Amino acid sequence: MDKEKLEERRGFLKQFGATLGAAGLGAAGVGSAHAQAKPKGNIPDRPVKVGHITFLTGPAELLGGPGQRGHILAQEEINAQGGLLGKRKIETIFADEAAGTDANVKELRRMKLSENIGLFTGVISSGNTPALGPVAEELKLLTLFNDGCTDFLFDKAVPNPKYTFRVTNIQSADGITAAIGAATHWPKARRVASIQPDYSYGRNVFEHFVLALGKLLPGTEVVSESWPKLFSTDFTPHITKILAAKPDVLVVGLWGGDYVAFYKQALRYGLFDKMKVATTLAFGGSPQAIGKDHPDGVLAGVHANYHFLYPSAERWPINKSFVERYHKRWKEYPSFEADGAYVALYLYKQAVEKANQLLGGWPEDEAIIAMLEGAGINSPAGYLYIRADNHQGYKDAVTGLSKRLPGYDFPVWDPASIVSIPIRSITAPPNWPKPGQGHNESTAAADWIKKTWPAARSA
Amino acid sequence: MSRRAAALVAGVVIVLALVPVVLGTYQTQLLTYGLTLAIAALGFNLLLGYTGLLSFGHSAFLGTGAYTVALMMRYLGVSSLELFILGGVVSSAALAALLGVVCVRHTRIFFAILTLALSQVLWTLAYKFFWITGGTDGLRVPFSQLTLLGGLINFPGADAFARFITYYYYYVLVLFCVCTALMWLIVNSPFGKTLQAIRDNETRARFLGVRIWRYRWLAFLVSGIFTGLAGILWVPLNGLVTPDVLYWPQSGKIVFFAVLGGFRNFAGPIVGAVIFNYLEVYAVAVTQYWQITLGVILIVLVTFLPAGIVGTAERLRARLKKKRAEQFS
Amino acid sequence: MEIVALQILNSLFYAAVLFLIAAGLSLIFGVMGIVNMAHGMFYALGAYVAAWSVGVAGSALAPAALFIFLPLAAVAVGVIGLAIESTLIRPFYRRPEEYQLLVTFGLLLVLEDVIRLVWGGTPLTASALVDSLGLVQIGGLPYPVYNILMIGVGVIAAAGIWAFVYRTKFGVLLRATAQDRRMAAALGIDVGRIYVLAFGLGCFMAGLAGAIVVPTQAAVLGMGVEVLVIAFVVVVIGGLGSLEGALVGALIVSALRTITIQFWEEIELAALYLIAAIVLLIRPTGLFGRKT
Repeated sequence: MDKEKLEERRGFLKQFGATLGAAGLGAAGVGSAHAQAKPKGNIPDRPVKVGHITFLTGPAELLGGPGQRGHILAQEEINAQGGLLGKRKIETIFADEAAGTDANVKELRRMKLSENIGLFTGVISSGNTPALGPVAEELKLLTLFNDGCTDFLFDKAVPNPKYTFRVTNIQSADGITAAIGAATHWPKARRVASIQPDYSYGRNVFEHFVLALGKLLPGTEVVSESWPKLFSTDFTPHITKILAAKPDVLVVGLWGGDYVAFYKQALRYGLFDKMKVATTLAFGGSPQAIGKDHPDGVLAGVHANYHFLYPSAERWPINKSFVERYHKRWKEYPSFEADGAYVALYLYKQAVEKANQLLGGWPEDEAIIAMLEGAGINSPAGYLYIRADNHQGYKDAVTGLSKRLPGYDFPVWDPASIVSIPIRSITAPPNWPKPGQGHNESTAAADWIKKTWPAARSA
Repeated sequence: MSRRAAALVAGVVIVLALVPVVLGTYQTQLLTYGLTLAIAALGFNLLLGYTGLLSFGHSAFLGTGAYTVALMMRYLGVSSLELFILGGVVSSAALAALLGVVCVRHTRIFFAILTLALSQVLWTLAYKFFWITGGTDGLRVPFSQLTLLGGLINFPGADAFARFITYYYYYVLVLFCVCTALMWLIVNSPFGKTLQAIRDNETRARFLGVRIWRYRWLAFLVSGIFTGLAGILWVPLNGLVTPDVLYWPQSGKIVFFAVLGGFRNFAGPIVGAVIFNYLEVYAVAVTQYWQITLGVILIVLVTFLPAGIVGTAERLRARLKKKRAEQFS
Repeated sequence: MEIVALQILNSLFYAAVLFLIAAGLSLIFGVMGIVNMAHGMFYALGAYVAAWSVGVAGSALAPAALFIFLPLAAVAVGVIGLAIESTLIRPFYRRPEEYQLLVTFGLLLVLEDVIRLVWGGTPLTASALVDSLGLVQIGGLPYPVYNILMIGVGVIAAAGIWAFVYRTKFGVLLRATAQDRRMAAALGIDVGRIYVLAFGLGCFMAGLAGAIVVPTQAAVLGMGVEVLVIAFVVVVIGGLGSLEGALVGALIVSALRTITIQFWEEIELAALYLIAAIVLLIRPTGLFGRKT
C-alpha cells in the first residue's frame, strides 16, 4: 500500500479511533504462569463440573470443533496447576448443539439438575442462546456463552441478566465492522449486493452493514439481495444473479461449509475479479478449512472477534503464547471460537480467585457474578471487558484482507490491511433504549447508529 | 375392561401421581415431556393403528398447537392455559379439517408423502414469515407469564421453576388421563370399530355401506386435535417454539414412538413415547454419535421387535399363558 | 441476456444431478416397491468417496486422470448399496410398507454418523477437476466447461438408462418385475436377483450424482438429508416409478428453483412444496406414474 493511500485511510479511520495494522500492549493474562496469590480458607477438592454445548456434528462443526478444543486446552492448563484455587479440577460434560434447540434445553436442564454442573459454557448458534439464556436464569446456573452473539439475547430474551454472560462481541458489531473494513479499503464503492443465509444472523448482518455503510460512504444503494437457506451447497444461481447486478461490493454473511462452497463456486464465475467482497465470517471456522485457492484481497471477517495473527506475536505475547500452545496441542491454529471458549474458562477462574481473596473459601455464585460484572481480562485477542449492566463482553473489533503468505497452508490476513476498531465506536452505549422502549428498530445498535452517526458527505 | 386391567391402570396412575414427591424436579419435568409426547402418540395412532393410515406430517399439528399458544401470548397478551388450550384446539381442528379433506382421499404411500409435503409447507411458512413467527429465533413462551386454572395459580418469584414443574406436571397428568380415557372410548366405540374394519378390508367395508371417506376424515380430525393438544402442553415446558417443531424429522419421531411401543395395540404408543423421551435425552447426553445410536435402535427394533415393546410383551404373555394352559390340560 | 443463458445452464446442471438421484429413487420404488429414505445418503457417500479419493491421489496424477474417480466412486457406492440391500433391506420385502420406511429411516441416521466418523467435519472438495477444464465465455461472462460437460453426462446417463431399461433383455426383466412381481416369479425370473441389482443400480445413480456435484461444491455433513426432500418432490411431480417422470420432474423443480431465486426468492421453498402438494392432489401418481 503506498504512503498516500495509507494516510488517506488513517484519516478516514480517525473518526472511529480505529487503527490500521495497529499494535496492542503486552501484559500478563491468560495462560501465563504469573504468581498467583495463595487461596484463602477451606477449599473442597471435589471437581467442578462444567457443561459445554457446541456443534460437534454437521456443517457448523467447523465452528464448534475449535470451540471445544479451546475449552479443553484451558481446562487442561488449569488442571495442570491443580485446578481452580489449586484444588478443584474442572471436568466438562460435552453435548452436541446440532441435536436441536429443544434437545439442548432438555440437556441443559439435565446437566444442572441431574449432573449438578457449576458452570455452563459454549453455544454457537444465535438461535440457541435466546432459548438457553432464560433456562439458565430459571435454573440459577452461572453461564458464560462463548458465542450465539445475537443482540436479541440481552435486548429481549434476558434483558436483566443475573446468571448469564457472554464473552464474544455482540452480533450487530459484525456487520458494522465489515462496513468499516469495506469503507476503509474500498472508499469508492457505491453499489452494494448481498448474499446472506436466510435466518436471523444473515438479516442482522445485512441490516447493520447497509446501515453503517450508508453512513460511511455517500450515495450507496443496494442493487441485489440473495437469501439462500442456511446450509445450502449450491450458490450458482445466486452468483449469476449477483453478477448481473454489477455491484461494486458484495457483502457475504455465509459461514462454515456454506462459505467454502460459495467461494469455490464464485471463483469459477470470476466473481472476485468483478467486485470487492466483504465477509463477516470467512475466517471464522478452523483456519485450515479455507483452501489455498481462496483469492487474496477479500475482507475476511472473524465475527469481529479474533484472528490468530492479531495482535502480532511480538507486540502481544499473550497471543503468541496462546497460539503456540494451541498449535502444539491440536496441530492447528485457533479460530475466534477457540479463543472465546478458552478465555471464558480463564475469566471464570479469575473471578473465582478474586472472590476467594475477598471472602475466603469456595465463593458463592453471587460473589463470582459480582466479580464478573465489570471484569477485565488480558486475552489473546486483546483486552476483554464484561460490562456490568448487560453482562456482555466487549473487545476491539477486528477484520482484515485475505492473503496467502508463505509459512501457512491456508490464507491468512495481510498484516498491513488489518483494521482494528475500538468496540465503543460500533456498539450502543450503556442505557441506550432497547427495542420496544421508544423505538422499533431490531437492535439497540441500529437505533443508535441512525440517531447518532453523521451521514457521509459526498466526495 | 377386565378387572385386572383396571387394577393395572389404577396402579400406573397412582405411581405417576407420586412422581413429583419421590423423584426430583428434573425427573418430573422429563416425565412431563414424556406425557405430552404420549398424548401426541395417542392421536397419531388413531390414524396408524386403528385406521391404517401412516402420516408423516403430524408435526404440523404439534407445531400448530405450539405456535397458537406463542402467538396468543405475544399478540393477544393471553396468559391463561385454559384459553391457550381452547385456542390451540380450535386451530388444530381447523387445520386437521382442512388437510383432512385433501389427504384422506389417498392411502398408503401417497397419504404419507402428501402429509409430509403439507407439513413442510407449514414449516416454510413459519420459517419465512419471520416478522410474525420470529423465524428461526422462534417465539418465547415463558412460564412466568403463564397461569393455571383460570388465574388461580401463577408463578412469580425466585423459586418459581420448581413450583411450576410440580403444578404443571399434575395439570398435564390430569389431561393425559382424560385423553387416554377419551381415546379408549373412541376406539372401542362403534366409530372406532368401523375404522378398524376399514383398515382391515376397505372393499368389504364399502360393500357394507360404510362411508369410507367420512370416517377417515373424522379420524384425521380427532387425531389432529389430540396431537395439537400435545403441542399446546409441550410449549410452556420448552419455553420456546421454533420452526424445528414443524420440520419433517419431528414427524419421523412420532412415527418412531408408535413403532417403538407397538402400534397394533392401545398402550403401545404411550409406552413408546415415554421411553423414546428418555432414550433421546440419554443418547444426546452420553454420546456425540447420538444419531447412529437412535438409528441402530430403530433398525434393531423394526427387525426383531416389529410388534414393539408392548406388542412383544403381550405376545410373550400370551405364549406363557398358553404354555401354562397346556401344562394343566 | 447472457444472464438468462447462464441461468439456463445452471438449471440444466442442477436438473442433471436431480435426475440421477430421482431416477435412482424411482427405479428402486418401481421395481421393489420400497421408498428408500436413506437414498440421499448414497448421494452423500458418492460425494465423499469421490472427493476423498481425488484428495488422496491428487498430487500423484494429472487432473485429467482424476476424472476416473467420479465413476469409480459411483461404482463403490453401488457396491455399498448391494451390501446394504442384502443385509438390511432384504429381510423386509414381505413386511408392511411402514416397516420398510422405518428401516430405511434408521439407515439414514446410521449413515449420517458413519460419514462423520470416517471423514470428520471438515468439508471435502475436489475443485481441481473443475479448474482443469477451464472456462468458456458466454456473452462475456465466464462459465465452467465442467458444468457443460456434466450436463452432457446427465444427458448420456438419461439416454443410457433409458436404453438399458427399454432396449436390453435385463431391462425387460426389470420392467416385468416392476409390473407384476408374482407373475415374473412364476415365469421363472429370479426376482431376488433383480431386486438386488435394481437397488445397486439405484444407489450407483445416486452416488454418481454426488460424485458429479462435489467438484463444483463440497462434500458437507447433512447434504444427504437436505437432498432427500427435494428428491421426493421431484419423484412426486414426475411420478414414483417412472424414469421419464424423474427427468421431467427434475427439469421442472430445477427451473422453478432458478426462477424463484432470480425473481422472488422468498417463495423458493414454499413454491416447491406447494407444487408437490398440488400435483399430489390432482394427479397423485404424478405426471408419468402408474398406479401401483
